[in-house]
Amino acid sequence: PSPGPSPLATGPVCVLVDSRCISSGPEVISAMRLRHGVTAQVCSLDGCDFIVSNRMAVERQTQAEVAAAQNRKRLLERMHSLQGLFERVCLILEADRTRPGEASRPFQRTRYYDSTLGGLVRAGIRLLASGGAEDTAALLAELARVEQRKGQAIGVPLEVKGHQQQALQFYLTLPCVSYVNALNMCHNFRSVAQLVDSSLSALQKGAHVSRSRAEEIYRCLRYSSDVSLMATR
Amino acid sequence: MESKAVLVNAVPPYGYIIANEKWRGSVLEQGFKGNIKIIFEEQLGVVDFHLSDKSCILYVSESDIVAGSAYKRKIVRFRNANSNLQGIVVVEKTRLSEQYFPPLQKFVVLELGLNLLPVLSPAEASQLIIQLVHGESKENPFHRKSISRLLDPVVLSLVQQIPGVGKVKALALLQRYSSIHQLSQASISDLEPIVGQATAQHVWGFFHKPLV
Repeated sequence: PSPGPSPLATGPVCVLVDSRCISSGPEVISAMRLRHGVTAQVCSLDGCDFIVSNRMAVERQTQAEVAAAQNRKRLLERMHSLQGLFERVCLILEADRTRPGEASRPFQRTRYYDSTLGGLVRAGIRLLASGGAEDTAALLAELARVEQRKGQAIGVPLEVKGHQQQALQFYLTLPCVSYVNALNMCHNFRSVAQLVDSSLSALQKGAHVSRSRAEEIYRCLRYSSDVSLMATR
Repeated sequence: MESKAVLVNAVPPYGYIIANEKWRGSVLEQGFKGNIKIIFEEQLGVVDFHLSDKSCILYVSESDIVAGSAYKRKIVRFRNANSNLQGIVVVEKTRLSEQYFPPLQKFVVLELGLNLLPVLSPAEASQLIIQLVHGESKENPFHRKSISRLLDPVVLSLVQQIPGVGKVKALALLQRYSSIHQLSQASISDLEPIVGQATAQHVWGFFHKPLV
């Protein structure tokens, strides 16, 4: 028999979904599962809508949200925090929803909207246009599959049990550690002490982080703190 | 002479754009008037507009899309010719070309890793390109400035993640063991005098209990 492709490159793909999406986009979760065969795990991602691989976060916003200047500060903060945690960041721009019976109004572009798109593109954030929840689900599944082909698929169990939950919260407190990095840490190190004591390259491999992020984590774990510099209130 | 796919002869100054000769007299050119200055150039290869030394635009019109897949070869030539240029593909996503859009987006963004910006019409495209040109002379707010954070408060909150350890005990532990690494190597008997027997066991257990 001829050797088939490795299971990791063809198996079902996993997508982590932030729990807020249960209320804001339940149809995306269902469509990913039912139409695209994605294993979608809902968890509290805190500041990120979807994680499709070990290095990629996907944020979902409507065109109207991005077009509204009053949302600028929030969008900037969101994007900065995602860039700090992930190697790759995508923003899905969803067409605005029209209620049944209502005529769809064409989206009016403004100078503000265009310059925002320009800024996002120049900052290396990938933009994807989506016609609605169904499209978004298809894009997420496709992104997860492309990342899987590049060997970046989420490869550890998505659930954490017992003592792992405490370790997960500890790992999430480290700088540059995203939820998926913390998940990898929980499953790839025998104990918290083993992780704390690991070499730079073991950290990089076990947590699936870049060299520079591994360096920051390593530095934090060995950082000799000064109690007098900690806020006392 | 075989023309190269991408030719960069000069970098346009701020407020200028280098446009492929074929756009002379077009709706796009009309749209630029009064906002940005255009320099026409005959030998841009497959590129339609050069914004600065690092970004170029390929324009895919509604008729390009409906006509067939020739434009795909153009995009691939562009992609293969130059990897250090930021490629932006501007696509007319109209009522007619809409149905072709999802596979086109998948091809351009997911497979080739280029940027894609859909527009409804050439008029919208020129407005978008004007903003891209203007944006280049300004600081980009989406660029993340790396700020070196003080690690002391991070270390404190890490210790407070250990079950049974609040702020008071965390500070007491850090007084004796200044880093997470040192703390993780302390034995129960080392920890007992600092935080008491029960917490000492919690702390030791947190670091050493098997996770897998």
